[in-house]
Amino acid sequence: MLDIAKKAMAAAAATGVDQAEAFAMQTRSMRIKVYRQEVEELVSSTGSGVGVRVFKGGAVGYAYTSDLAGDGLEAAARAAEATMAVTAPDEFAGLPQPAKEFPELDLYSGKLRETPVSDKVAFAAMLEQTALERDNRVSQVEAATYAEGEGIVAIANSLGFERQFRESTCYAYLQAIAEQDGHMQTGISFTTGRELEQLAGVVTGQEAADRAVSLLGARQCPTMSCPVVMDPFVTASVIGVIGAALTGEAVQKQRSMFAGKEGAPVAGPGVNLIDDGLHPEGLATAPFDGEGVPTQRTELVKDGILQGFLYDAYSGRKEGKASTGNGSRGSYRSQPHVAATNLRLLPGTASQAEILGEVEEGFFVMDVAGIHSGVNIISGDFSVGATGRLIRNGELAEPVREVTIAGNLLKMLESVKTVGNDNRWVPFGGSIHAPSLLLAEMTVSGK
Amino acid sequence: MLVDEQTIEKVLTAALEKGGQFADFYAERRQTNSLSLEDGKVEKSSSGLDAGASIRVIQGKSISFVSTDALDERSLIEAARLAGESVRGGGATVIPLTAASGSSVHQVKIPPAAVATAGKARLLMEADAAARAEGADVVQASVGFSDETSQIVIANSGGTLAAEERTRVRLIARVVAARDGMMQTGYDSIGAHRGMELFSSGDPAGLGKIAAVKAITMLDSRPSPSGKMTVVMHRGFGGVLFHEASGHGLEADAVEKGASVFAGRMGEKVASEKVTLIDDGSIPNEWGSNAFDDEGVPTGRTVLIEKGILKGLMYDRLRALNAGVVSTGNGRRQSFRHPPIPRMTNTLILAGTETPEEIIRSTEKGFYAKTLSGGQVEPATGDFVFGVSEGYLIENGEVAYPLRGATLIGNGLTALNNVDMIADDFEMNIGVCGKDGQGVPVGSGQPTLRILNMTVGGTEV
Repeated sequence: MLDIAKKAMAAAAATGVDQAEAFAMQTRSMRIKVYRQEVEELVSSTGSGVGVRVFKGGAVGYAYTSDLAGDGLEAAARAAEATMAVTAPDEFAGLPQPAKEFPELDLYSGKLRETPVSDKVAFAAMLEQTALERDNRVSQVEAATYAEGEGIVAIANSLGFERQFRESTCYAYLQAIAEQDGHMQTGISFTTGRELEQLAGVVTGQEAADRAVSLLGARQCPTMSCPVVMDPFVTASVIGVIGAALTGEAVQKQRSMFAGKEGAPVAGPGVNLIDDGLHPEGLATAPFDGEGVPTQRTELVKDGILQGFLYDAYSGRKEGKASTGNGSRGSYRSQPHVAATNLRLLPGTASQAEILGEVEEGFFVMDVAGIHSGVNIISGDFSVGATGRLIRNGELAEPVREVTIAGNLLKMLESVKTVGNDNRWVPFGGSIHAPSLLLAEMTVSGK
Repeated sequence: MLVDEQTIEKVLTAALEKGGQFADFYAERRQTNSLSLEDGKVEKSSSGLDAGASIRVIQGKSISFVSTDALDERSLIEAARLAGESVRGGGATVIPLTAASGSSVHQVKIPPAAVATAGKARLLMEADAAARAEGADVVQASVGFSDETSQIVIANSGGTLAAEERTRVRLIARVVAARDGMMQTGYDSIGAHRGMELFSSGDPAGLGKIAAVKAITMLDSRPSPSGKMTVVMHRGFGGVLFHEASGHGLEADAVEKGASVFAGRMGEKVASEKVTLIDDGSIPNEWGSNAFDDEGVPTGRTVLIEKGILKGLMYDRLRALNAGVVSTGNGRRQSFRHPPIPRMTNTLILAGTETPEEIIRSTEKGFYAKTLSGGQVEPATGDFVFGVSEGYLIENGEVAYPLRGATLIGNGLTALNNVDMIADDFEMNIGVCGKDGQGVPVGSGQPTLRILNMTVGGTEV
């Protein structure tokens, strides 16, 4: 792949631009879905492509192609140069200076490819079976899925950066459906790793079943203001949204509720949030970002005080700061943009049971819906659908559905009273490591 | 054609070498251009090419699917053999391919490639200028343009061969208005399965203006109350609520597994008799329309709910095969990398006879949802949630003042049954629907209508 990146970069440089960069990616992926112990779907995919970025007089151009043969790379280089015709010059645009040192990371396991497909099918089937056997109210498992991917990412730029890395990831996921008196509830769980042996089997199947069953008989509760405990899945959803507002880009474009709050308290004193591009268990871990800048650990919130923001080369330069290695790209089809790597809300000391024990009457949130449509990241105002259970005298009580929780994210962060020690990785909406949280008060709207 | 007939027949034959009831082939070459503007300047301009193919073998209820981004015969046959590798039983052979007749009704007059990038950039500038002309409250406008032209070839072992060129263009505007420490955003979009003729003069400016007025209006908003309310859904945007709240549960894959509130209820009353819900992928030039679905089945009109009675579901080939019915032309996929699944195309609630004014006038106290910001549903339970980016309080039959921060929450079946008034002002809207990690363009349409007893979640208790 590095050869392809170099070739594409050279073709782009030859069009007469000031700077050129090529990002090449080769991927292989597989997904297995099991339903009623049979393979419902076996999907395999291979692909590769190159994204070419060019700069001239401060203007930026971009083109990508999956056609790496013939004159495909030259065509992409020409297309990138042509797109610059309309982009406005910007003094801060340009490539990052290549770094000298890069983290040594172990992101690839050859075992993933060597493990027979039948073992992976068996793993998904076991998840389904475990959930079904856990409780006789679990009527079916809608999607017991195993998925894996491996890839090579290579970047070459005209400032002399030439590097590639290889990674492998896998995860398994299931959604259990529990039924009672004609009513259904769903529960999900998942597990992640870099090879099959790293995935947690039985507990994952059981958790999906337990989550679904615990919500059976859920009803709307009365509208109330009360303490709220979020489980790690829910904390992760909220942290994902907060992470998007902690980028330099969001601040510069006045799209962040955190603008102008550096050095100020923004959260309860127990809140410590970092972006950790180096964590061995994080699926977003990589030696360098989408423009070749080494990844790092960046403190965002320390003891409740906002420390700073995440930057790519462009947004950093605008601020007179270095990139924090957050020039992210999902594939060769997209230009770099600022995004978190692995967000970690560092664990506190209380177990989930201890957190619940602090609450006399409250709401335990197990799932939120509409987080992307229901949150205003400029003002922080939000209102989302929620499912969970009431808390009474420190214990979980009856299940609740069809309610909303609403408030303001900034006020919510400030109201964090206790941070749990039950962190887990949640791979949806980013790669997030989150614990349970106790919030002093929120509005729960029901009947 | 992207891949010639003889090659496709060889590929399908290779896929069925070891067994299988059915095999299909999908090849695609997609060219895209996109531009985005912010701070009054074009910041990003990009063009792309993606091409590849996939082969699927169906045996029983199981599918094996392989995609590759190579289109040469050797790679395609290799991918086909991989797809067929573990398939046993079946034993279908390939029926000689016959090209499907008929030309696309989705005419494209000005292909995106015929307009220079500067011409596309002008659309962004027009929308931006119109938004900023709405006054000093407008502090930011982001405008995005994208076009996409795909050549598609679909074939299967049943002898189907279909080819289609699909062109889509879209322009979106997001405007931020600010006053006295309050910030609000307004959004609008236009798009269609057609060429650059969509942007006849004035349209980009109209888009910018609408988004700006929405943002400015919301500056005067008050925090939304919470609780059960009568909700009036404004035409157009509200259609997405029915897309989520009932459409997903009417896709045959959810019903097949019993993971839908509509499972086992065919012929029963599932909605107010005022409600007729259809899916129609054949509406000329509509955003969610195509000549064929992504399995080569001609698109058409499927009645899902007629006057409150459950009449039909949306099928792809696999689920139709399982159910012993004919595909409704709803087998769709994001790209050659994704297997087809049942998806909506353009989903519509048909117009009623009341006027929007009558609906508002007859609502003593209610919530008027004018623009929804999106939402989601759990098809198994039918529970849905929607953000409202532009909402108003209705008091004594009149629109009183704007409300912010509201979420609509409810259950698909309950909401369908609680529709008590439908107006005659039908309008379509466009969006991208996500399911199983695949995004496809969908239209949703609706006249202004009223839903009783819906939960509004606001910040005020």
